Amino acid sequence: MIFSRFNISFLFVTIFLTSCSSMNVTEESVYAGDVKTVQASSIDKQDISYDSQAVFANATVYFDFDKTNLSSKSLQTLKSVTDALNENPNLTIVLEGHADERGTREYNLALGQRRADAVSQYLILNGIDSNRLILKSYGEERPVSFGQDERSYAKNRRVEIN
Amino acid sequence: MKKIFLLLIFSNFIFSELILEITKGTEDPYRVAILPFQGDKKLSTEIENIIINNLKRSGEFNVFQSSELLSVPNNQENIIFNDFKILNIDYLVMGNITNGDIVYEIYDITKKSKIRSSTVFGIPNKNRQLAHYVSDGIYEEITGIPGISSTKILYVTQEKKYRLIVADADGENEQILLESDEPIISPAWSPDSRKVAYVSFETGMAKVFIQNIATGFRELALENDSQISSPSWSPDGKFLSLTLYQDGNAEIYILNLSNKNLTRLTNHYSIDTESSWSPRGSKIIFTSGRSGSPQLYELDLKKFNAKPKRISFDGNYNAKASYLPNNEGIIFVHRSNTNFQIALRYFNENFIRVLTEAQMDESPSISPNGNVIVYAITDDDKGLLAGVTLSGARFRLPTTEGAVREPSWSGFLR
Repeated sequence: MIFSRFNISFLFVTIFLTSCSSMNVTEESVYAGDVKTVQASSIDKQDISYDSQAVFANATVYFDFDKTNLSSKSLQTLKSVTDALNENPNLTIVLEGHADERGTREYNLALGQRRADAVSQYLILNGIDSNRLILKSYGEERPVSFGQDERSYAKNRRVEIN
Repeated sequence: MKKIFLLLIFSNFIFSELILEITKGTEDPYRVAILPFQGDKKLSTEIENIIINNLKRSGEFNVFQSSELLSVPNNQENIIFNDFKILNIDYLVMGNITNGDIVYEIYDITKKSKIRSSTVFGIPNKNRQLAHYVSDGIYEEITGIPGISSTKILYVTQEKKYRLIVADADGENEQILLESDEPIISPAWSPDSRKVAYVSFETGMAKVFIQNIATGFRELALENDSQISSPSWSPDGKFLSLTLYQDGNAEIYILNLSNKNLTRLTNHYSIDTESSWSPRGSKIIFTSGRSGSPQLYELDLKKFNAKPKRISFDGNYNAKASYLPNNEGIIFVHRSNTNFQIALRYFNENFIRVLTEAQMDESPSISPNGNVIVYAITDDDKGLLAGVTLSGARFRLPTTEGAVREPSWSGFLR
């Protein structure tokens, strides 16, 4: 019985000498496994105009664990965001959703997006054109508080509006 | 011969970030004598140490070295089998290193006979690889299962920068694949282990890239305005399942890598993400929030218009599942009380087995032989990698610097 597999730099042959005894005889060569390092070049931060941004109060709204519904406090914050958007019709804003570190990273990425979406739904219902809103999520990747306690977690479950 | 044996070993390799630490082995390990390899003294010591660590880390071996033996033969004629039998040793390994190649032999003490004779041809400056190949030969001969010492682990570290790193399965020989100022998550090997897919935020938004390991060539898996994440390769390497956000929330799609056609798999207003293919490519498992909390669902790709079937019922958080290579079960992240732990469920059992006991265990990835799970833990606010075998042995790959997470195990490379 002979198995053989060829790759560019590697060869592996195993011969089982089952007939004469139960001893295995094998020969194989080590695989080189070369690795090339790459540097990612980050694009400069948001390419939206910050000129009118000064009049606009940056805001953050917060959420419960694994939740995407807006609290009454968040609704107050978003009311002033709506007002600011109405007063500055050229303003485009980014809604950036975040999650705390508990749970899996991909689920948290999706959760952050759902939170950003919850904020955008509110703004759209209150007459803001969806073209003025850019939604994204960083999941649990960009915490503002680094402790492993509920106080830190609560600060990280947020949508940043700016 | 039932013995609980606890090992606490800190090897003193000073060259890399990861250090091997074995915290617990299986209850009834194979007892193997590793005799000093003949040939260049410095090289043979280095190689022996790597082999011994590899065997110990599997949790399945109790290794004996010459100081613990009654006689130390240097060739077949000098072996006194009774000297090993008295110590209840099951197997004996001896070897010879010449010109960077290794010839090694394995003897069965009970049968008093040679059961394997193998040659591994080395290449310059790849002595670690040489040792890993020998380890895998010994492991396979004795356990009957292919070894994983010559496989690789991919993971992400964060210090000042985010790095995507590939290392040997023992955490040594770290090499940087990608360095970025922005987060990198969800690395995944292609089935042939030549490429990796991962999520990078370098464009200001989550996007999936595919990178060739040897050449460094990388490209977006899909040009699209949407956030894209959670890549998983089909077993034949022709498709990627992905999470796209173009429909307003997270939905799972299959991307045909040759013509870039997209097929939508899920359609629900709640979160659907973390897809992973079954070993034969006929099913996809994923995490969905459709029941109100993250739970695991399975989708049969062979049935037209198949509905996702919920397959997790214990607790209110079950996520990031992947199949065992033999398709007999799944591993996933499970929350019990407030702790997140790695759990295993065999399809023929109606209960889950929680395999780990820390508070924030994440990102389980199983070895290609289906025996070991590597996963991320948080210890003292620091991210580390740990491993657990399905038989219960545990080890850690702690770092000296930076937070380590998101491990992904390669396929077989031999």
